[in-house]
Amino acid sequence: MNSLKVDLLSVPGRLSEISFTVDSGKVIGLVGPNGAGKSSLLQALAGLLVYSGNVYWNGTSLDKIPAIERARIASWIPQEAHFEFGFTVRSVVEQGRFAHGDDQLGINEVLTAFDLITLSDRPVNHLSAGERARVLLARACITEAPIQFWDEPLAALDPRHRLETLRIARKLALKGSIIILSLHDISQALGLDQVIVVNNGKLEAIGSPNEVLTDELLLRVFKVQASRNLSNLNLELPTKL
Amino acid sequence: MNLSPHQSKLIMPVMLVLLVSLACVSLLVGDVNLSIRQILYGLYDHTSPSAMIVWNMRIPRLLTALLIGGALSMAGVVMQSFFRNSLANPGLLGVSSGSAAGAVIAIACGWSAISLWFLPAAALVGAFAATLGVLILAKRGASTERLLLAGVALNALLGAFTSYVLSQRIGLYEKNAQILFWLLGGLEDRSWEHVFIALPIVVTAIFLLPISRSMDLMSLGWNEAQSLGVDVRSIRRRMIILSTLLTAFSTAVVGAIGFVGLIVPHGLRLIVGPEHKRLLPLSFIAGAIFVITCDIIGRLAGGIQLGIITSLIGAPFFLYLLRKLP
Repeated sequence: MNSLKVDLLSVPGRLSEISFTVDSGKVIGLVGPNGAGKSSLLQALAGLLVYSGNVYWNGTSLDKIPAIERARIASWIPQEAHFEFGFTVRSVVEQGRFAHGDDQLGINEVLTAFDLITLSDRPVNHLSAGERARVLLARACITEAPIQFWDEPLAALDPRHRLETLRIARKLALKGSIIILSLHDISQALGLDQVIVVNNGKLEAIGSPNEVLTDELLLRVFKVQASRNLSNLNLELPTKL
Repeated sequence: MNLSPHQSKLIMPVMLVLLVSLACVSLLVGDVNLSIRQILYGLYDHTSPSAMIVWNMRIPRLLTALLIGGALSMAGVVMQSFFRNSLANPGLLGVSSGSAAGAVIAIACGWSAISLWFLPAAALVGAFAATLGVLILAKRGASTERLLLAGVALNALLGAFTSYVLSQRIGLYEKNAQILFWLLGGLEDRSWEHVFIALPIVVTAIFLLPISRSMDLMSLGWNEAQSLGVDVRSIRRRMIILSTLLTAFSTAVVGAIGFVGLIVPHGLRLIVGPEHKRLLPLSFIAGAIFVITCDIIGRLAGGIQLGIITSLIGAPFFLYLLRKLP
């Protein structure tokens, strides 16, 4: 089984001595209050911030790996996408195959999966925030990297595309990937395999959602009182549309 | 205004035909009226009376225009991609003002009179010193904002220095005329030596082509590019060095020419799209077309310097962009 091990990861002023290990085949939610360090942690794990400590993939430090090889192992998507130039949706998604010699493998499948096939010739700078978010997700998935770091991937999506995205994340996990996605809606983390809670740049807790997201933690970290009742609206993808 | 795939295939041959046609027109235009027959005689018969004008004046001028037009336009593409802003231009990092400052020092100190090579050499040294200054000011691995601010600061400083030198030379008309010619930018009296000085542009332009795919990814964000496998630090370095070389060799040969590196890439992106594999070679041809056209207009208008014509065209282009904004 593949594993991602984070050992005493620190970024001055942002993250402090974060350590955890996660195994492959898991969809993991990263939660924490605003400014807790969720985006910084994902960026550091993706090698986009200078950090001390170590990030290991199957025992090999990711620091020692050249950019192109690292891209085949770990993929990252930013919280927001700003596209200055009018690349088409298809050409942006194709960039996900850069580390594989631009072989364009599986482009149509991933465009279809993210409901982008009809938009494939549209310039990305003319898309809505939700459509842009789906383009980034499609580009990340096409990399086939076994570790996926997604920063707030669901924030701009409508309910159906949120559920579709979580379903795709689950499929990737079943194939052996690790998906770590930051969320600002704690309730979305309940259906995931594991939850990582960060607060003030430190690791607060890691484990299954039921173990971790206790009333005490929600009150202490998020300053919210939890209430559980049956009137919560539960959304699922229909078996047939 | 992106072209259809069919139109897209035609754009390169159409532009090449236009370039060759304009080159022919450029050979016909000049202070001395020469007919097509005389131009042809001049081209094939080196002993004919028109040969000297054609071979020693018009062809070097045409080739210089072609090279510097292509270079400035390509440098503009690189800077726009680097800063992820389609209004960026080759002078943002202080290359043009550094080059101008170097040239002004050479003229003011009288070095330019020693040899034809001194002035371009001083301009090249100035250009590289300015770029190095910006990189040091902005620190290693700096963000685009830091680089931009450092570029603005250095451009202002070098502009003040150039104006100071100019103000101290009041009364020395010959030197001031030379400095002014340099600051306005022009193709007058360009010789084969100038063509040779500008030749490294071709090699530099070729070196840009292999990184065109990486530039696609860089132009959508450095972090995104790195996470997709681009060696961002190395590509950034190559983009700055190659863009500096293109701008520096152009400025060293014809002085400071504005707007080419802004208008041509910006307009071309609207027509052919943002992919650098096509944009880079097409921008070279389009830049050459633009500068040769401006030079023809300037000569037909009675000898207006190239820099003035490009600025004259640049102003309405900005007004056009202003109208297109919501």
